[in-house]
Amino acid sequence: MSKFALLLKKEIRDIFSSKAALLFLFLQCFLAGYSFCSAVSLYSNASVAAVNNPLYATGFEPVPGVFVPTWGGLYLLYSLLLPFVVIPTVVMERARNTLVILLQVPFRLSEILLAKVAAGFLFLVFSLLLMLPAIYIWHMLGGHVPLGELLLLNAGYLLYGLFVIGVSVFAGTLFNNVAGASILSIVLITVSWIIEFGKDMNVSPLMLGLAGWTTTAMLKSFEHGVLSLSAVLYFVILSVVFVLASRSFFDVEFNIRWIVSSVVLLAAGLGLIGYTSFNVDVTESHRNSFQPAIVQALKKMPPLEIDVYLRRTDSRFRDYEASFLKKLFLVKRDIRVKFIRGRSLEKNYGLFVYRVNGKSASTYSNSEEEIFPLLFKLAGINNYGECSREHFRGYPLVVKESQLSLVRYAYYVVLPLIIVLAIVQRKFFSKRRLKL
Amino acid sequence: MLVVSKLRKSYSGAPVLDNVSFEIPEGTVTGIIGPNGAGKSTLLKIITGFETPESGQVQLMGKKVTSFYEKMSIVSYMPEYIEIYPEYYVFDFIDFVFSATRHKDTGLVTALNLGSVGFTKIKNLSKGYKQRLKLLIALANTKPLLVLDEPFDGFDPIQLLDILELVKAENRKGRTFLLSIHQLGDAEKICDYYILLSEGRVVARGSIEELRKDFGTGESRLEEIFMAALI
Repeated sequence: MSKFALLLKKEIRDIFSSKAALLFLFLQCFLAGYSFCSAVSLYSNASVAAVNNPLYATGFEPVPGVFVPTWGGLYLLYSLLLPFVVIPTVVMERARNTLVILLQVPFRLSEILLAKVAAGFLFLVFSLLLMLPAIYIWHMLGGHVPLGELLLLNAGYLLYGLFVIGVSVFAGTLFNNVAGASILSIVLITVSWIIEFGKDMNVSPLMLGLAGWTTTAMLKSFEHGVLSLSAVLYFVILSVVFVLASRSFFDVEFNIRWIVSSVVLLAAGLGLIGYTSFNVDVTESHRNSFQPAIVQALKKMPPLEIDVYLRRTDSRFRDYEASFLKKLFLVKRDIRVKFIRGRSLEKNYGLFVYRVNGKSASTYSNSEEEIFPLLFKLAGINNYGECSREHFRGYPLVVKESQLSLVRYAYYVVLPLIIVLAIVQRKFFSKRRLKL
Repeated sequence: MLVVSKLRKSYSGAPVLDNVSFEIPEGTVTGIIGPNGAGKSTLLKIITGFETPESGQVQLMGKKVTSFYEKMSIVSYMPEYIEIYPEYYVFDFIDFVFSATRHKDTGLVTALNLGSVGFTKIKNLSKGYKQRLKLLIALANTKPLLVLDEPFDGFDPIQLLDILELVKAENRKGRTFLLSIHQLGDAEKICDYYILLSEGRVVARGSIEELRKDFGTGESRLEEIFMAALI
């Protein structure tokens, strides 16, 4: 076994045998089971009317309907509890002075840190594997399993978890006690919640600008079924930046070189993310994108300015943003959206004004059927074509309450029991395998 | 083997080491002795690279070594305080150390009498056995210089004899030892050379015979020499 593999084995053992990790996995079982039951129940109730109504059925998709709410519990667990699993592995090494042993052996500090991150990542993978029974049970109940979307959803959570590990390792190297490090990491992780709250409350334009760059916003891209290279880069770069910065403190003496490297990487990374615009809608219904002919025409269009005569908090703007603006931003980046204020806002409330090539047109509609003819006329694009995409039929599913007992049995009994057995095996039978 | 020249170190302006210089010949056992707060542990940390001096330098095997990892390839260091992974079984931990250091000779486990506590969790070991485990970490590798901070703490007199014999055996193989010891009786049983440290300064150094010549009589014990040197 290579030396790094040996170190990794030790770190995996340390993280998986910790009480915090076991508590985390227990909670995950109950939370996932509860979330899944609730989501399936709601989906099923709504599906009753859609089963015999093909038009209504098109709105039923398993990922946003069942899997995103189920995985939502993981978001809380990763944000609030994962630091308690990762931080002790870093803090205790220094507090107990066992870092000296590892350096004697000798391992390098970077190897030690990397092994801790890798072990944390494997814990995440294991935690996501615990979600597999939900997918399998859904399939057994007769539900449709969109593999691409599910893979993307899991990749999103894996990347988010990696970010949390990066932050936790950073906090762990700053403090010599678990409490201080945990507080710092939770503050750093929940900054994005504060920004999102500020955005929703319309606190300041700064919050509005930052809201698009929060971890929550980036994770939503995965939840919505959009594979965004920017979002992938965002999580990877932030994780690496935090781990790099932590190396400065995880040294015999403070070494500023690593902090400088992480700041340089952050600046370069943010530039790269801003420049990257590769997005793929992996949903089967293509709910995040316009028709292909429209996309082609939009790509040819000059920069677009939109004056919005609505308050940001207005539900009509929220509809417009969700059904039109977000899709538009996936295709075009040279769009400027301006919120009109003052007397003009009151006078023209509800109006959208589009400007292309110095010409403008306005409409009160937020429907793409109304907007695109206006836009393409302004841009001088006449034949953008109308091609209908393959019809998405939707996947409504009615599940009897009694069938959900299988979920409860799996998540409330079987999985926790497996974890208990693993602990018992470790505690009472591990001596047998000890040999020298 | 080891040359320390004009080392200085202070914490918050208070000097801990002041112009410390000495040499340690290869294949010897040298004891750094001194009262609490004399700067023994700080000196060992600087020699092993875990702390940086304000001035002065440390030469190992005839060259100035600045890289921490280069030092670690020459020096095996065991600080006074380590809480070895408490949840590990002793054999589990030994297996990890031996695998990482590529140490294959289980004779060391026998010599340290750790076989009898192999299935015990480290947190449940007595202080003496924890000390043995620390010694095992230091001795498992093949580094030429072993720097051990208070290695004989926690042993009863009978256990101590076994441990001293083990150190002597390793020393006979050509390994050099630098030990920080506050129990002068223990130091006298094992050391070839002594460095007397007080308030961050070297007040005396040499073999017991040389120290007797400078600070005592032909029959003086180390404790008497130590007291005379301090006065």
